[in-house]
Amino acid sequence: MTSRTVLLLLLPVLAIFSLSQRRRLTAVMGMGLFSLVLAATYLFSHAPDVAITETAIGAALVTFTYVLAIRKTGRLVVVCDEAPRLVSREGGKIVGLEEEILAGFARELGLDLVVRIVPRDDVSAVLGRGEADIGGGGIIGEVRDKAELATVGFLPSALYRVSGGRMSDVKHRMEEEYFEDTLEAIRERRPVSVTLDLARFLAASRLNLSGYNVERVEGEFSYCFLVSSDQPELLSQLNAYLERLTKSNEMERLIGRCMS
Amino acid sequence: MNRTATVIFAILLVSGFCMLLFLTSGYHGAQGNADNPYLAAGAAETGAVNLVTGIYLNYRLYDSLFELLVFSMAVLGVRFYLNADESQKPSVVRIAESPVVRIAADLLFGPIVMIGLYLIVFGHLSPGGGFSGGAVGGTGLLLCAAALGAEVVARRFHEQIIEQIEWGILLVILLFAIVPVLFGYTPLTDLLPPGQVGTLLSGGTIPIYNVLIGVKVFIGTWVVIYSFIHHRGEI
Amino acid sequence: MESINGIIIAIVLFGIGIFALIIRRDLVIKLLALGLINSSSVLFLVSLNAEGDGIAPILYGPLAANYVDPLPQALVISAIVINLALLALALVFVMLLVERYHTTDSLRIAHEVEKERQS
Repeated sequence: MTSRTVLLLLLPVLAIFSLSQRRRLTAVMGMGLFSLVLAATYLFSHAPDVAITETAIGAALVTFTYVLAIRKTGRLVVVCDEAPRLVSREGGKIVGLEEEILAGFARELGLDLVVRIVPRDDVSAVLGRGEADIGGGGIIGEVRDKAELATVGFLPSALYRVSGGRMSDVKHRMEEEYFEDTLEAIRERRPVSVTLDLARFLAASRLNLSGYNVERVEGEFSYCFLVSSDQPELLSQLNAYLERLTKSNEMERLIGRCMS
Repeated sequence: MNRTATVIFAILLVSGFCMLLFLTSGYHGAQGNADNPYLAAGAAETGAVNLVTGIYLNYRLYDSLFELLVFSMAVLGVRFYLNADESQKPSVVRIAESPVVRIAADLLFGPIVMIGLYLIVFGHLSPGGGFSGGAVGGTGLLLCAAALGAEVVARRFHEQIIEQIEWGILLVILLFAIVPVLFGYTPLTDLLPPGQVGTLLSGGTIPIYNVLIGVKVFIGTWVVIYSFIHHRGEI
Repeated sequence: MESINGIIIAIVLFGIGIFALIIRRDLVIKLLALGLINSSSVLFLVSLNAEGDGIAPILYGPLAANYVDPLPQALVISAIVINLALLALALVFVMLLVERYHTTDSLRIAHEVEKERQS
């Protein structure tokens, strides 16, 4: 059991470990470690030239290049799912009410605003992992996990439950993750069962909803933002900013402009 | 196709491919010196003690030249696509550096550059060579950029002249390797004699190629790293 | 255990790389898997003649010692540096894609490109 065999056996373990991570930073670090073990393997395979080159390139430069590409210093990262009128993508830009609010907030903090579109159920997971700062995209404040921090509501909303559709095409049942998939499913009359907030429901009601049951959920709801739980001062800053907007009637103006 | 079908397809594809590779890779290279031509005559013909450098800078010089061209094209592509529009520059303030990085850069920058130079110049006598030495030098410069700030290092490094130096070195290497052929000389052993095996000035033209390639890789690595940093502001 | 050599591990790593390239949807992880495939090819070439006790091909001693074949190593040294430059270029394109479509999900990017091409 030479040392070369031990190192060689360690390589697939490291590769599987680092390529199955959810967080991109951990995967990059894992591949850097893999590169170092690979360089040691080259040394034990009587190739010192290759070992020096692999150490300098793989462990140092490749890792640094990846970290430069995925860093989030100086950025305010917002994860959301698309919600028409609130945050939606047109061409290369993001437009909407939430985007305007958050752009002003980022300008005040002196950071760049970066919006990342993820599936609706992944928003809380990404916030919990610490990969993003703020979660948005039509989040209803009363319907969420208690573990996340939410700001004050800035716009009243309602919840609608859409379900049904013809159950005969069961083999076309796809997992719906983004809101676009839900719209496509409604367009093609596939069975859906989702709970939509007001902005998304308004966009969906432009399509033909005749084959579906629509019921309105009772209660008072309002839109809010989520903040990842290891940044409580960001939460208080965002709350202060939202209250300032509401008090100075700036919020009314923005709502009137974006939701008309 | 949905997710289960993708997973099953991936497993079948990967296992089929790996089986194919297992069944056909029975090659074990030539061992010993009886039937390996490189080992038998390498030291005498190239004059280099490090046979690996002797192979890729003497017997297979033109392969290395084309690889250098590929490297230059990749660096050019990175430079072009990342700084395409200089007009929109986000204003990211400089993040304050901790003193650990500053002190480490102070202590380590000299030794790293010295190691890189050693690897480049002594490439034909011990493990190393132009590619390794250039990469190590690039790492040293990267440490400097992390400590001082990339804009400071770029201004000190005269960024406009660096690009011209890089393309000039590529031109010199190409001329050095191709022009003597047109006049009837072999560009490897006729220009400089192999010399005494084991000393610094041995190896014919190999040390010259090592130095040129080392500087080229060093500048290329720095250009790539600086493009990444400059695209979005400081580190 | 003695028959585990670099060639088998290199093929296994190649398989892991292709598997991760197909299954994972995040673009950055796909690039990492491509880098893994590059490294596995380099490992394959280096370990073609690395069994037993040989010495690195640097001729300090007499010629009768058993030196390892120097040719695969010479082929592979510049390949490692080229891989870095090409990886940087691929990362540039990934960054430009992510900035335009605001997501790192490859299926969604394909979906959006398809929609733009239809309209």
